[in-house]
Amino acid sequence: MSTKHSKAGELFLENRSHASWHNEALWFVREKRDRMSKEIPEWEDLRELSSKIKLHTVSHLDAYLEQFTQKAEANGAIVHWAVDAKEYNEIVYDILQKNKVKKLVKSKSMLTEECHLNPYLIDRGIDVVESDLGERILQLMHIAPSHIVLPAIHITRQQVGELFEEKLGTEKGNCDPTYLTRAARKHLRNEFLTAGAAMTGANFAIAETGDIVVCTNEGNADMGTSLPKLHIVSMGLEKVIPNLKSLSVFTRLLARSATGQPVTAYTSHFRKPRKDGEMHIVIVDNGRSKIIGNKDHVKTLNCIRCGACMNTCPVYRRTGGYSYTYFIPGPIGINLGMLKSPSDYFDNVSACSLCMSCNNVCPAKIDLAQQIYKWRQDLDRLHVADPTKKLISGGLKFLFTKPGLYNTALKMAPIVNVMPRFMLYNGLNDWGKGRELPEFAKDSFTALWKKGKVKQDDRS
Amino acid sequence: MNSKEIILNNIKRNTTTQYDMPEFLLNAIQYTDKISQFCEVLKSVGGSAYLLKDGENTDDVIKTLYPEANVIASNCTDVTCATLNPDEVDDAHQLVGIDLAVVNGELGVAENACVWIPQNVVHKVLYFIAEEMVILLDKNKIVNNMHEAYEQITFSNRGFGVFISGPSKTADIEQALVIGAQSVKGLTVILR
Repeated sequence: MSTKHSKAGELFLENRSHASWHNEALWFVREKRDRMSKEIPEWEDLRELSSKIKLHTVSHLDAYLEQFTQKAEANGAIVHWAVDAKEYNEIVYDILQKNKVKKLVKSKSMLTEECHLNPYLIDRGIDVVESDLGERILQLMHIAPSHIVLPAIHITRQQVGELFEEKLGTEKGNCDPTYLTRAARKHLRNEFLTAGAAMTGANFAIAETGDIVVCTNEGNADMGTSLPKLHIVSMGLEKVIPNLKSLSVFTRLLARSATGQPVTAYTSHFRKPRKDGEMHIVIVDNGRSKIIGNKDHVKTLNCIRCGACMNTCPVYRRTGGYSYTYFIPGPIGINLGMLKSPSDYFDNVSACSLCMSCNNVCPAKIDLAQQIYKWRQDLDRLHVADPTKKLISGGLKFLFTKPGLYNTALKMAPIVNVMPRFMLYNGLNDWGKGRELPEFAKDSFTALWKKGKVKQDDRS
Repeated sequence: MNSKEIILNNIKRNTTTQYDMPEFLLNAIQYTDKISQFCEVLKSVGGSAYLLKDGENTDDVIKTLYPEANVIASNCTDVTCATLNPDEVDDAHQLVGIDLAVVNGELGVAENACVWIPQNVVHKVLYFIAEEMVILLDKNKIVNNMHEAYEQITFSNRGFGVFISGPSKTADIEQALVIGAQSVKGLTVILR
């Protein structure tokens, strides 16, 4: 039995050259991340500090959210609370309606993907325009992001060229990234200038000051919020951190981990609404407060959405974001999907080789791989464990608990070495697909030991 | 109960273990020459730094660096080459078509070439809408790292502030780096 992930991954790998480009492009980002981190001697101390600040904050979240709200309101912002996606969508639509907004220009927010805000607003007649270049490309193609930081990583320049030719009237056959980016710049300028409201996510919300902090490279969040006078911020409740001192730790980690840059081009602090304008902040729960009570998985709330775990993951790199059934892919997405609904998203837990690389790059030290391992232990309880693997585990258990039978089986094993290929590499042997079986040794370790053939010096 | 109360109650109910705020015992990076570190990083992120020499005039440098800029917007009193005072327009939308914006920065950061700008113009769109941008910065106001920066930055009563590190950029098309996405296409920091 293959999971939906492995089946989709197989399809992704059919286009060998593109799959290989995808793998190498993401590995390149991972290498940039390594170079950047090595320029900072205190890098590991920073990761440790970040993890501890997050653990502290998440375990005092009620107090920090209240402090943040008081400060933001004192600064003139209007704070809303949404228990779930439905309430969140309704709040946003209500704000837009009251302000008679016809066009909303958005900067990147995975929360709006999570809550399906765009289709909700579009159905109600609002023109929703994504302004991050990658997000805009995907919106014009009517498809979803395949990575949380590099949303269009799976799209080729030729595809963008053809898309812009049709939608923005660019030259036929021109797929030069600079030319296409300039065309998008011109197109989006017009959208910024004619929008009635801007929406941003929040990378961080500062309890001490009430600041909303947004990090972008394109400057799109800033263009949006500087023209229309209505600014709506969407934030998951785990985005709050205690103070600017804590923020100094995260701003040093975020871009270095995400794209291997020393910092994003813009780190914007929105403290007050603009003169004669309004700033609304919608704090969304949608299952997050429940995670706080889950001691095995509470650390997922440490996540600062840098995407480093995806860039380093050998499975993500070779199968692409669409192979996962949850909208956030990669190691963090596997865990968040299971926290959302195990029966809907269990297919993704197979997308892990337990290499632990994600743990080692995570700037908030989330134990991503251990968490995936724990979910796998739950599969049987959920009645979704792979029957073939269950059968094999059952058989091995039987074998391992009967020394006599085990030793006999071991003596017989070298027969496999001389068996004809068709008997070994067929539909019954999943393991043998795409790889060779190892050769079984003629004598087992126990046999060698008994014959005195194992010597101290043979350790190597 | 309203949604706020429901959410806060859920958080309280689900919080079982509480962790203390860690101590910040961090040996954060220091540079022997903060100015050259700042300039080097700025270059690596697509911007450029200009170190004003003794007797050199900011206005002349701007004119030399941007000879083709027709519309230069600035509210800095010592930038006489400005053709527009951006604070004199009523609406942010009127600031389209600016070739060059010249603004004051408050603090530079050596580790990542950030310059902190507490909103010091009426319409903050000026920082983002121009084709190119010059930030004027006191070369003695460069700190080592973000920890030092966040201890020192100030906000204006307009309630917006931004760290800017180089021009806007994107790599969203096949990871090919393009300088100049939705905001400025070029950035020079004049250190004086």
